[in-house]
Amino acid sequence: MIVTLMKTEAEEALARQFAAVASSLPGTGVAAARRAAAMDRFRETGLPHRRIEEFKYSDVRSALKTAFAPADVQAPIVDANAIEAALGPVASLDADRLVFVDGAFVQSLSSSEIAGVTFRRFATGQPTDDAAFSAIAGANPLLALNEAFASDGAVISVDGARKLAGRLLVILYLHTAREPRRVTTRNLIEVAANARIDLVEVHARIGTAAVQTSTATRLVAGDGAEVAHIKIDREISAATHLSLWDLELGAATVYRGFQLTAGAGFVRNDIVARLPGADAKFDVSGLMLGRGDDHVDTTLVVDHIATGCESRELFKAVLDDRARAVFQGKVIVAPEAQKTDGKQMSQALLLADDVEFYSKPELEIYADDVACGHGATAAELDESMLFYLRSRGIGLAEARSLLIESFALETLEKIENDDIRAVARSVVITWLGADL
Amino acid sequence: MPAVRETVEQVHALDVDKYKYGFETTIESVKAPKGLNEDIVRFISAKKSEPEWMLAWRLDAFERWLAMTEPTWAKVDYPKIDFQDLHYYSAPKSTEGPKSLDEVDPELLATYAKLGIPLKEQEILAGVRKQGEPSGLDQADGYQSMAGRVAVDAVFDSVSVVTTFRKELAKAGVIFCSISEAMREHPELVRKYLGSVVPQSDNYYAALNSAVFSDGSFVYIPEGVRCPMELSTYFRINERNTGQFERTLIIADKGSYVSYLEGCTAPMRDENQLHAAVVELIALDDAEIKYSTVQNWYPGDKNGKGGVYNFVTKRGDCRGRNSKISWTQVETGSAITWKYPSCILRGDGSRGEFYSIAISNGRQQVDSGTKMIHLGRNTSSRIISKGIAAGHSQNTYRGLVSAHRKATNARNFTNCDSLLIGNRCGAHTVPYLEAKNSSAHFEHEATTSKISDDKLFYCRQRGLSDEEAVALIVNGFVRDVLQQLPMEFMAETQKLIGISLEGSVG
Repeated sequence: MIVTLMKTEAEEALARQFAAVASSLPGTGVAAARRAAAMDRFRETGLPHRRIEEFKYSDVRSALKTAFAPADVQAPIVDANAIEAALGPVASLDADRLVFVDGAFVQSLSSSEIAGVTFRRFATGQPTDDAAFSAIAGANPLLALNEAFASDGAVISVDGARKLAGRLLVILYLHTAREPRRVTTRNLIEVAANARIDLVEVHARIGTAAVQTSTATRLVAGDGAEVAHIKIDREISAATHLSLWDLELGAATVYRGFQLTAGAGFVRNDIVARLPGADAKFDVSGLMLGRGDDHVDTTLVVDHIATGCESRELFKAVLDDRARAVFQGKVIVAPEAQKTDGKQMSQALLLADDVEFYSKPELEIYADDVACGHGATAAELDESMLFYLRSRGIGLAEARSLLIESFALETLEKIENDDIRAVARSVVITWLGADL
Repeated sequence: MPAVRETVEQVHALDVDKYKYGFETTIESVKAPKGLNEDIVRFISAKKSEPEWMLAWRLDAFERWLAMTEPTWAKVDYPKIDFQDLHYYSAPKSTEGPKSLDEVDPELLATYAKLGIPLKEQEILAGVRKQGEPSGLDQADGYQSMAGRVAVDAVFDSVSVVTTFRKELAKAGVIFCSISEAMREHPELVRKYLGSVVPQSDNYYAALNSAVFSDGSFVYIPEGVRCPMELSTYFRINERNTGQFERTLIIADKGSYVSYLEGCTAPMRDENQLHAAVVELIALDDAEIKYSTVQNWYPGDKNGKGGVYNFVTKRGDCRGRNSKISWTQVETGSAITWKYPSCILRGDGSRGEFYSIAISNGRQQVDSGTKMIHLGRNTSSRIISKGIAAGHSQNTYRGLVSAHRKATNARNFTNCDSLLIGNRCGAHTVPYLEAKNSSAHFEHEATTSKISDDKLFYCRQRGLSDEEAVALIVNGFVRDVLQQLPMEFMAETQKLIGISLEGSVG
């Protein structure tokens, strides 16, 4: 056992909380030992801070000044209508649902049977440990913290029956607490070879109190699988939202990921993708919306290991007031990963004087027969475009909102499913409408 | 263009292995004992007959250095340097005397002849033309005839050996001399500006340099003067187990202009040599400094044995309104390169430029790039970086563009392209963009690719060998940067690119 002095109040609180709740968290024996080991690992590093390169622009230590108490292991009773109302446009999605309230699964709100999908609660089975995650994700102290406190989540396997194409599954994480709470969830998703699924992960808040969420998802797609993976974050004025996706894609898979952050507070989205199979097509994109004192960070690592893979990333940020956005995108191409085709773009629209945008698109390339590139831009609204619209008789306010909308909505083109795109669109429009 | 042909012929004539500057010159030298401590700092200061304030400044730097640790963030990998196993001062014995080139040790002159740099000085030395006469190169276009002459400051190991054309420069009011001389003769300028861009505690190597730097060049261009000729410094590490720590300080006063060239080579040795320089540029209102470097330190042999460790801090401060600093660098040498020529755009309307070609082959590791720090209003910057990795080398571009809150209307354009030759090398791009106000406009693009087979095929079908074809294509790839180089360097650079990539194909 390694004993290191905890440095901040929050880190000390986390250690105390762990000692208090560890026994009530799911898993015994080996699983409990792994939890304790994860806490030890976390204790060694503490909360990541700006002197750690990956967290240079997002100092979790200073964002997480106090650690809220972990949510109860039992889900509270919630009114189904209240949920529909709080979900807004997301409620309209015609799909199977798995619903987690304050970090615990609620059967009564969820679909009882999902065709072609086997589901079990993380809380009831043998919990997944960090060893199941990739080495890159495993190096992130936030993953260790997640493992230590994870209370529930979805363990899903999707079978390979092609005829079930068009399956849409929504995993909902709702926060209803009236007291500040910390919610930690963990998902393991296995998609069989040649299977196809559209997954939507939604984070929303009903309660009045601030919430600290940590969620980690490990997704493994078999050869030839097709996965659409969309995350919509609507935890409006949450305190912190820490998310980690760890993706592993087999040969010739088609993966289309999208993250829409219209929540608020301090958001850190880590995405790690490993492409060990040849000819995979990987696309992950996102839109970060920030206002007030929001801080939204997307940090991405794409690890090309096999030949002939394609990766595409488009991330945009719309920033107002004093909001900050961070995009760090690293593309690694191993010596064996010849014929890699990688393109990445990050763009920020800066609407107010005090916003900040940090971008660090990184290429680390060891193979010569590749075509890799990235671009990054940051700018305010184009005066000449505004002028053009106004010269056509459109008022300034309307011209501005037209331009902002078109900038933001471009990213949604990446979502193929019309219904999901419509939902995402209305989330964006609602967010933009709030002060435009 | 006769001069170009001459360069090419000279380069051919210097038929030594792949690194053609690998010779060693036997010149008697005075060395400080190995190791680094306060006494060595005092010794260097005394050797240079420095004023008391300078010694205090050095000791302060040394104290800060002791408290610092070596940076490890760069993507370079090398055994730990034993800073006690180096000579921190070495000077050719004949340094006391020479006031003109005639008095210089003929061995030294022969060294420069072998180096082939600078061409025009050699023309003069060989009696081809008299000083001041235009050379064949100048007649190529009218623009060059004024700046056709190059004044040279030669730094051998730790000491400035000779500075040419001083009288003529003095007529224009330009001060061009070694920095130790400047400390004695222009203490007010040195004291005012030294360390004002790169403070002693800036980083580990800058602190080390501040403590032990032995010489370097000093340039002051007075208000409104356009420097009548190109200025140039030539650095050479000759002695075994010496570190070279030079310090360059260039001040362009209001409305002045100067173009400065820097070249460097070192003998081939099995052990590694350390080079940690600091360059400070200061541009006041409406002044412009153009700084070009052709860095060709010994890169080590093909197995990575030997070679120079090049840890350099170069920074320009656009202190005045509408000032401009432009860095152009051709990096082909050194086992390890750790170098980020930067611009602080402090004055309103100031402009920074960075043009770079970094070529790595064999086991070389390059981690280079720039920082453009926008502080003033309406500042703009442009970065063009071309990295070429071959053999087993690693080539990293690392850059920062930042616009501070008050830097309204900051503009940046960045383009960094990498070319990989072979699949045992690596090319990496690590750009940081930091926009802290909404009126900043940043554009950044980067690509990595290989030489396309159809281009190679086309060249070969026209009768070029593989290597010639690669050199041709690479020269095309780096053309944007080559065009920024002064004529004197362009021809050599093109040839250098060919030589650097030898053995990288097939």
